[in-house]
Amino acid sequence: MNLVSKRSADLIFSATYLLTDLRMILRETAPGHELDERQRAEAARLLENLERQVNSLKQEMLR
Amino acid sequence: MKCGEGIEARQVNELFINIDPIQAGGRLTGDAIKAIIAYGDGYSVCDNCRKPNRLDCIAKPPIDTFHKDVARWLNMDEARMMPGARRGFQAVAHTYVEKGDPVLLTSLSHYTEFLAVEGARGVPCEIPADAGHIVTPDAAAAKIEETKKKFGKAPVLALIDQVDYQYGNLHDIAGIAKVARQYDVPVLCNGAYTVGTMPVDGKALGVDFVVGSGHKSMASPAPSGVLAATAERAKEIFRTTAIEGDVTGRKFGVKEPELMGCTLMGATLVGMMASFPYVKERVKHFNRELENNRIVMESLLSIEGTKILSEYPRKHTLTRVDTTASFDRVATTHKKKGFYFSSALNDRGIFGLIPGATRVWKFNTYGTTAKQARYLADAFVAVATENGLAIKK
Repeated sequence: MNLVSKRSADLIFSATYLLTDLRMILRETAPGHELDERQRAEAARLLENLERQVNSLKQEMLR
Repeated sequence: MKCGEGIEARQVNELFINIDPIQAGGRLTGDAIKAIIAYGDGYSVCDNCRKPNRLDCIAKPPIDTFHKDVARWLNMDEARMMPGARRGFQAVAHTYVEKGDPVLLTSLSHYTEFLAVEGARGVPCEIPADAGHIVTPDAAAAKIEETKKKFGKAPVLALIDQVDYQYGNLHDIAGIAKVARQYDVPVLCNGAYTVGTMPVDGKALGVDFVVGSGHKSMASPAPSGVLAATAERAKEIFRTTAIEGDVTGRKFGVKEPELMGCTLMGATLVGMMASFPYVKERVKHFNRELENNRIVMESLLSIEGTKILSEYPRKHTLTRVDTTASFDRVATTHKKKGFYFSSALNDRGIFGLIPGATRVWKFNTYGTTAKQARYLADAFVAVATENGLAIKK
């Protein structure tokens, strides 16, 4: 197996799952989407992690 | 936004509080969504299918363990996942009912139970619900006696809804099963609204079968469901094939005819599996759901003229109300007629009411947070107030 490709696939799934977690926050807070402190911290953590995954994916796929 | 040609990306649960009576308990968990993303391809769960080549025997992903866990969770002996509760009714009816056989249903039974009986060419015998829309053990006994007189034999099967779809009322399954046992009538508990939302113990209920709906109450994609059986009934319902080709002599191993071999494959099954740990946990907290329902119900009942048609206090979150003397009065003069009501709720981010319905309607608060329940409660009062309806203090 090409480990570079495997890493790309992992990053894509990981990023998609982070987006899913963000989606669940939207569901939990509908319809106003006013995030409380815990939800805001969680969203920030997910978004930071997502940025890292996307940056890594750029390096993997566009090398 | 489109997710395919002509297919709008559905964002109902991201943008609205969804109180659709049949959708509330089937909303997916995050893990179910993730599982669907990974297992969306057709035969995705079959990568590691090995002898005896049957879905419920696959170990990777752990489908075999899941089946055992579901049976144990329902306190039954065996379980199979089905493409919806209705396929569970169908399998059981097909096994036990022959042409002309009487089958016990209730006056609140779901239409798919009727269709299952029809498919097996049975004859429906409905236990009438009482004035409070409850099916009682006494009424079941009376109906069985009536059936015996009419058909010369007791019903061959009883399909009884634990919580019915019309009123969301909780019926005494244990009491009805006790009566049915006295006549040797096998009982199927239709837990479409209970399995996955509140605790269900098949042995304590004394039933032969428990059927659940994945997409209605187990945070799972459609179509999905479960058919669980006692050990004695499992031998009958999950019997293996005995057929043999006359030319080829082929046999088909351990495939189960009532399940047409393998039932629930791919994303639906893995979605169910991914939600299962959450579902097991959430049934332990059903009181929270009832509390959220109470918040909304009290608010609705504070609107002059509103009546509840379901049993009250509520024992389930699916609830039927009559607003003929409140919201429907507004509809008679409103420029949008009855559509003003669902429209006003939509504007407030609430989804799930049939557009135009202002007389008798149902809603389900299952899965709302306490904050969302309070929001719903305030929204109903706000719509009433802005349309000139009186609020009881």
